[in-house]
Parts: sequence; structure tokens; C-alpha cells
Amino acid sequence: MKKKIGVYVCHCGGNISDYVDVEKVREEIEKDEGVFLAKTTMFACADSNQKDMVTDIAEKQLDGAVVASCSPKLHLLTFSAVAERAGLNKYNYIHANIREQASWAHSDDKVGATEKAIQIVKAAVAKVKRSNALEPIRVEATNAVAVVGAGVAGLRSAIELAESGSQVYLIEREFFVGGRVAQWDDLFVSNETGKELITRLYDKAMNHKNITLFTGAEIVENSGSVGNISLKVKVSPRHMKLNCDEGNLEKAIEVCPVEVPDKFNFNITTRKAIYHNFPGEYPQLPVIDMEHCTRCGECEKVCKNVDFSQQEEFLNIKVGSVLLATGYDPYEPKNDEFGYKTIDNVVTLPQFKRLVHYCDDKLVYKGKEVKNIAYIYCVGSRQVDGENKYCSRYCCTATIHAAITAKKKYKEIYNFHFNRGIRTYGKQEVLYDESSRMGDIYLQSFEDHPPVVSKVGDKTMVTIKDILTADKTLEVEADLVVLVTGMVPRQDNSIGSLLKVPKGRDNFFNEIHMKLRPVETVIDGVTIAGASQGPKNIMESMNSSLAAATKSFSLIAAGELALSPTIAKIDADNCEWCGKCDDACPFSALTKTDVNGKQVAVVNEAVCKGCGMCMPVCPSNAIELIGYTDDQIESMIDALVSTH
Amino acid sequence: MSEKKILEYDVLVVGGGISGGEAALNLANLDYKVLVVEKDLSLGGKMIALSKVFPTLDCAACITTPKVSEISRHPNITIMFSAEAKKIDKLGEHNFEAHVHQKPRYVNIDDCTACQLCEKACPVSVIDEYQQGLIGRKAAFIPFSIASPRAAAIDITNCTLCGACERACPTGCIDFTQTDLDYVVKAKAVVVATGFKLFDPLKIPRYGYGKYKNVITSMQMERQLAPTRPFNTILRPGDGKMPDNIAYVLCTGSRDKSVGNPICSQVCCMYSIKQGQLLMGSLPMADVTIYYLHIRAFGKGFNEFYEQSKEMGVEFIKGKIGNIKEKENGNLILRYEDIEEGKVKEAEHDMVVLSVGVMSNSEISDSFQGESLVLDDYGFIHQNDILASPSETNIDGVFVAGTATGPMDIPDSILSAGAASAETTSYLRRAVL
Repeated sequence: MKKKIGVYVCHCGGNISDYVDVEKVREEIEKDEGVFLAKTTMFACADSNQKDMVTDIAEKQLDGAVVASCSPKLHLLTFSAVAERAGLNKYNYIHANIREQASWAHSDDKVGATEKAIQIVKAAVAKVKRSNALEPIRVEATNAVAVVGAGVAGLRSAIELAESGSQVYLIEREFFVGGRVAQWDDLFVSNETGKELITRLYDKAMNHKNITLFTGAEIVENSGSVGNISLKVKVSPRHMKLNCDEGNLEKAIEVCPVEVPDKFNFNITTRKAIYHNFPGEYPQLPVIDMEHCTRCGECEKVCKNVDFSQQEEFLNIKVGSVLLATGYDPYEPKNDEFGYKTIDNVVTLPQFKRLVHYCDDKLVYKGKEVKNIAYIYCVGSRQVDGENKYCSRYCCTATIHAAITAKKKYKEIYNFHFNRGIRTYGKQEVLYDESSRMGDIYLQSFEDHPPVVSKVGDKTMVTIKDILTADKTLEVEADLVVLVTGMVPRQDNSIGSLLKVPKGRDNFFNEIHMKLRPVETVIDGVTIAGASQGPKNIMESMNSSLAAATKSFSLIAAGELALSPTIAKIDADNCEWCGKCDDACPFSALTKTDVNGKQVAVVNEAVCKGCGMCMPVCPSNAIELIGYTDDQIESMIDALVSTH
Repeated sequence: MSEKKILEYDVLVVGGGISGGEAALNLANLDYKVLVVEKDLSLGGKMIALSKVFPTLDCAACITTPKVSEISRHPNITIMFSAEAKKIDKLGEHNFEAHVHQKPRYVNIDDCTACQLCEKACPVSVIDEYQQGLIGRKAAFIPFSIASPRAAAIDITNCTLCGACERACPTGCIDFTQTDLDYVVKAKAVVVATGFKLFDPLKIPRYGYGKYKNVITSMQMERQLAPTRPFNTILRPGDGKMPDNIAYVLCTGSRDKSVGNPICSQVCCMYSIKQGQLLMGSLPMADVTIYYLHIRAFGKGFNEFYEQSKEMGVEFIKGKIGNIKEKENGNLILRYEDIEEGKVKEAEHDMVVLSVGVMSNSEISDSFQGESLVLDDYGFIHQNDILASPSETNIDGVFVAGTATGPMDIPDSILSAGAASAETTSYLRRAVL
């Protein structure tokens, strides 16, 4: 057992010391057997204190160290690194959390918080006394990345990774790339169209030898761990041979008797079962939608390239990291939410944008010319009663931009914005200013008094208690009501579930730390980019996709990874293979092996995460978790329940 | 004149705030040699001075200091303090030459133990900029308690050269013979992360800043709320009384064409709401009223944070402040349009916080020789291909990170720095191929 332990109790600049008497904690800990020195510090994480700790550990030859501060999520790595710099094996450093677990949790009880902090630190000291030096497990890392989703974020990450020298598998579930941005015309700031932007990115990606694109593809199986991840990719057939004759192809589409709503246009138009997304899509090859195809064979008769014999394929790929850029879904309003689907001239913002795309000189919806447009903001966002408490960030600017575009395109368009406080943050403010100057009318309601859309005779009326005119009730007759629908997480979260990526309160993928590690997840090797992490505009998605590419690349760039040695260890003498550990393991890290004629469990070191799920189910107690041994944990429990 | 020292790096990063630091770290971790040129005495930029940060309420120091210490001890990163890149010349692709001018610190950092004896000995008191002028400091001083490096410096403009600090210093690290240094830096790429400036509220005389002592800026309030705060509580500067009715004036210098800044500063709503929450904690009896035009709580977790502050009792009034007048007792009368009620009203508060906006810090563009670095309409660095390569500038090989491109919060700055380092990496790889 160790005899020269150093303990540092952090004030956290008041975060701890406002509620926990850190000096008393120090005094109590100093009395513990084996504690050689105990100090308090204003900010344990500050550079100056880190230097002091390094000096202490090195000069006084400490054999163990404890910092009692914030959550290990924040600073375990910081202090492990301090130990290493001082020449102390980092597993002889133990972190005690007295901020989240004592001061913040018990800010109403200073005495109790202090008592609890003392016990938490004592438990850490008990553990460090019994800790051992450990060395990381080294594994080779594959310099390849699977980028999931080929919207703007995925395309951009793929290009960046390829240019850095990684092999990239770009896996798109749809048959066409470009995601949501392909569906938009003029984009704010650059005035480039969505299609132009996608074209640029697609061309760049396709010209790069390191990028392999799969469309109609999804990951169905996943095994291994960071550095060596094996993925099984299911690729659905397009039922089209490459290099089609353009003329015959158009004819094939023409003769198809099936008509279904066109998802690309958010169902305001229809398409055939054999279809393009839009002229000039990528890849430039139509696809047969087998869900709706009746196999009538008409297309086959006019176009030789139709090929119903194509089969689903499964590919196995090996990558070092996975970058998720799976995007978002537009919020789908509930039936009758602001008249959606019950009043005939109510559409969503994405539908409106496609409508403007298709209407050339007059804006016409369902045969009627549109003059007055009422935009209802925050539909599906900032919900008072619903689950979506968050702001969707992009919609204010997107709506104002769409309204200006419509006004410039058609004569006599009158825009009425029924908003809840316009959020054109940053430079986007100038757009709001421009629209106001163009004569757009803004009306604002509070959260608890949303506007009402109703049918009065054959007219659609929007009524609001408008706080901008001192709470007057105002009414607008609308030829078209546009529901400004926010961003929601993808309904189909199969990839998130498969990779076990955690979600935040808003149900988007969650980062480890918004400021310190904004594109990394708790699943080692899995990074997140773009709107999959939360609502973002294009520029913000680009920033996050480039940042995620950097992180994914730096994980595997060295060609070798050092993995944590705190994993399960089997005592082969005690193990009588029963398979219970294998059943309990969420990572499939345990397999059966033969040792001298005896069937025992063996741990795949690169796969085991050290979660400990296997330990309690072992009937012969043959599994120990390195770094969290029974002896260590029991000593911690003893310290926690002891009175001092 | 002596010959300038020539130094060679892969990347020159201008600015050692959180964006420049993050970009430098990313590049250094990929084994590029990086020089960070920082004009101040410490790393960490504006962020290291903040109290807690929205919407998680992590203390800013807890997040900044470990990053800063990682930057300062990274073997691939060299940092020059008190230094400015005066001339940056693009001689060809992957071939930049910068003239860096470094002012002397008059302290040998390696020998300084930050014992503060020089501070005690120094007879000169001046205003402490780091504490936003709320208190004073000495001419021999440690910039602030969590500065990196934590080492003394001599403020030579105010120093009387009395020598007291030199005599008091136990390690003899004070060295008045230090002189200005000039370096020629050769680099293959440049990252500009020069951050932003805060709006100067003296430009709006009707708010009375500088005239009425109890009208302070949000950065001054930030310092009063920080763990390393000057008074250990919140005091109004006029008479040292603890305020119990605090007003926030949003959009001070933002969305205001009369001061030449039409854009929204993107962070003021959220930091004001955050300060409101923190004030509720440190002054439980105090009322906090936020006068706003629109609340821009748009980021991840922001709207929830805004709703939470309403539940905690922060009051929100939609209205623009016309002017502020001082009463004899130091309290302030705010005249404003209450939009909801459609009336012009007056309200009395005992302390007013002006939520000052984010302004461009564009001097760096003057340093570029030959091809100049283009700015946007608001003085921020122009993003050449904003939707596909947001950190690209008009000069190939010069990338931009963080608030140098425009107002943004910390999470966005970190992402922007990530993007800048990614694009710099690609550019550098093109040199190899």
C-alpha cells in the first residue's frame, strides 16, 4: 500500500469553496494514513497549480495523487497528464468529484456538503492506496473513415478527410447526394443555389481517389472499437445499369403508370416509381422505387438499362473512425396544428420553398393566385406544451430570406410574419432589416398566445394578439399560410442506436462537452457533424463538419492507438465457461476459448470498454476489472460509510 | 541596427485566445510546428476573463485554463507574448514572411515564481484593465491570478523606474535591460484569430456611461461575478452599496445604425441572461430586469436556458431604452418605450449594466503587404467561400478562426477554429504533394 500520497483540494474559484469548507476537508484528509501532503488550491486546473503539482510529485517522490475538484468528465485527463509529466503512472492518480457530487448538489447544507466531500476524498485516497501502475493497450489504427450521410456536412467532411490522406467511405442512405441543401434554391449570404453548392462539393469529392461513395446504403452491423471498426454496409440496388441513354430513360419515366407524392418536393408534386430527384441530380442516374413499383414492366420495354435482376449487396469495410453527418428532418406539424391538412392553403416552409421554385411568374397554389402570405413562426420549436423546447436556430433567417425571394420574384406579394421574436442573429440581422424596408409586416405574439388560423367562409384568416401594437387583436386574410417548421432529429435513428450514440435533451446527438469537445461523442471514434448534433445553418454545419473531420483524422493519423487498460480480466482457474458474461457484454468482447482442455472466457482487449457489466453475472466471481478491483471498490465503500 | 532573428514554422497563428489556441492545438497535434503571436501578456483572450459560460454554467476558468496550459506546454507550439505581426507578406504558395515585433516584459518568465513581492514593493498604482477598471494594480504586476504564464510584467509606461521591484525580487528575474525584439518569421500558412473588441459605450452619451458611476458595462459585471472577482461580492461602483434592482440594456452598440453597427452581436442576450441567473444566486434579494428588443436564444440549450431564467424570476421587458438619468442618490432613471403596452415609461434602478456588443478587431488586415486581407461590410475578415469553406480568406494560405469572422459564441468559435485547422492542414498537405 502506498505511503506517500498527495491530495489537492480545489476551491474551483468558489464553485466548491462557497459551500464546502475546503480547509476542513484538507485538515481531515491530512490525518489519513498514507497521505503525505494535503493542499488546497484556488484552481487545481490552472497552469501554475499544475506546475506545482508536478514539482511536488517529482521532488517529494509521491507514489499516488488525488485531486478533489470537479467531475472527472471535465478534468480527469488534465490531472492524469499532470501525473505523467511528473513521472507518476497515470493510474496512480485518482479523481474525486466534490463539485457536482457535494458542493453543487448540497448548496443548501454547507456542513453536510463538507462532510460528504471529506468522505468522497477519503474514498479516493483508499482507492489510490491500492492502485497499480498500468500500461495502455496498443492497437493499430486503420487510416480510413466511414462518413455517414452525404449532405453538405458529410460531403465536406469526406473531402477534408480525403485531402488529409484518409480513405473515406461515404455512405448515403438515399439514392442521391446533397441532403436537404439540394432541395433549396438561392442560399442566404452567397446567393449560390443549393444545387450549385452540392455540385461543387460532389465534383470535388468524386474527383478524389480516396473517396468511395455508396448510395442507397446503410450500415447494418458494427463491431470492433476505435481504430479498428468493422462495418457491414447494405447497398440497395438502383435497378438501373450505368450509362443510360438519356432519351430512352426519359421515356421510361414517362411510361411508368405509378404516381406517388414526391418527397423531394415535400409532397406538393408527384413523381413516378422510376424517378429523378431533379434534373442534374447526383449521381445522375434515376432509380426505381421498389416500394411503389408494380413490376408492370413498361419501363423495361422502352429502356434497356432498367435491370430488375440487381440484388441487394452487403459489403464489409474496416475503418478507424465513424463520422456521423446524418442531418435532420423538418418538423411535421400535427393534424390541424395551425390548420395543417385541415385548411387547404396551409403549407410548411420547405413546401413553400419548393412551390416558389416551381411557380415562374405568378405564385399559384391549388389553382389560386397567392398575394397575401402569412408566415407562422416556431411551429414545432420552442413548444410550450410539446417536447421540443429548443429553438431551431435557422428558421427565422430562412423564412425572411424565402419571403424576400418570393417578393422579388412575383409582383404584389404581401408578407405577414407572425413571429415570436425574430432571431436573425449576427450578420443575418441585415436580412431582417432589408425585409422590413421592403414593407414586410411583422406581428409578434408571446409563447402562451399563439396566432390562430381559421376558415371563415371561404377565407383563411390568421388572428393574433400583437404585442408590437400594444396587444391589439389583428387579423389578416391569407391566400397562403406558411408554417415555419423547425428542425427535428431524424425520425429513423437506426445508425445512432447501432453505434450507441447518446442523445441530448433535445434528442439530437450529444457531444461530450459543448466547448471542450463539441464534435466528439462518448463512443470512442465516433464524431458528429452538422445538424445531427443540433439545428445549424449551412456555414455552421460546415464549421462543425470540418472540426469533426479534424478530430476523426487526428484519432487515427498516428497509425496506432493507445487504449485504456482498465478492462475486464478473466481468472482462467476459476472460470467455468457458462456464457453469462458473453450475454451481458454490450460490446461482444467475450468469447469462449480452450485453455488446457478447459473451456473458459477470454477478453478481446481492443473491444472491451471496461464497463463491468460482466462482473456481477459471473457465478464463480472469475472476472475482475483492472483499475476497479473488488479490493479497491470495497475499500472505497468502507471509506464512504466510515465516520471520522 | 542588429540583424533580425529568422524563425521558421509551419503555421503562424495570430492571436492566442480560445480560437487561436484551439487551432494551434489541433495543428500541433498533427505534428505541425506552430508559432502563436499574442499581443497581450497571457493566453486565453476574452474567455479567460469571463465568469461562467452559458448555457452550461461551467466556470470559464475551468474550461480555459486547462486548454491554455495544454497550449503552453505543447512541444510543437511556441508562443510569443506582447508581440504583434506587423508585416505579413505572401512570397509564394506556402511561403509567408512575417515581421513580428515583441515588446519587452522586463521580467524573465522562466525565473519568475509569481511570488508577488514585486507587486507589494511597487509604489505605482494604476487602473487594472483586466478587472475592467474596477480596481487598481501596480506597475509591476501579475496580469491576473490565472494568467498563463503566471509571471510578473512591468508596465513600463507607468513605471517610475524606482527599482523597488528589482530589489524585492528574490530570484532576480526583473530585467530592465530588455529591449524590443524583431523577428522575421517564415511560415507555410497563417491562421488569423484576432478576435473582437467590445463596443465602447462612451459612443452613446445618452446612456451616461463614464458620467454616472453606477452605469457599468457587461464586461465589468462579468468581472464582478467571476471567481477571481475584485470585491468578492457585487457592488455598485458609485458608493459600494450592494445593488438590489439591476437593469440590463441590451443591444448597446448592436443593431444600431446610429453608431455604425447594424448587425446583432449574437452573444449579448445570452450572456445577459446568464448574468441574470448568476445575480439571482449571488444577490438572492435583488431584482434583475432585462430590457430587450428580441431575445436571441438560438443555440443548443439556449432557449431552455432563457425559459429557466424566466422561471427563476429574471424580468424581461420588451423595449428600447431612450436615455438614462442619474438621481442624487446614485440611482438611475431609465426612460424607455414599453412596446407591449405601447407607452413611454420610466423606471428606477440602482445599477445599470450596458450589454455591449461585439465589434471587429481588424487592424491585422493592415499588416498584410501586397495582396491585402479583405474585410466585410462590418470590418470583420471576409470569408471567401462562406458556405463551403468558412475559414478561407481572400488570400490562399491565410485562414480565419473565431470572432475574427464575425460575432459568435464560444461553442461556435471552437468549431470555427476546428474548421480553420482542418483547412490549414489541407493547404499544408498540398505543399508536400
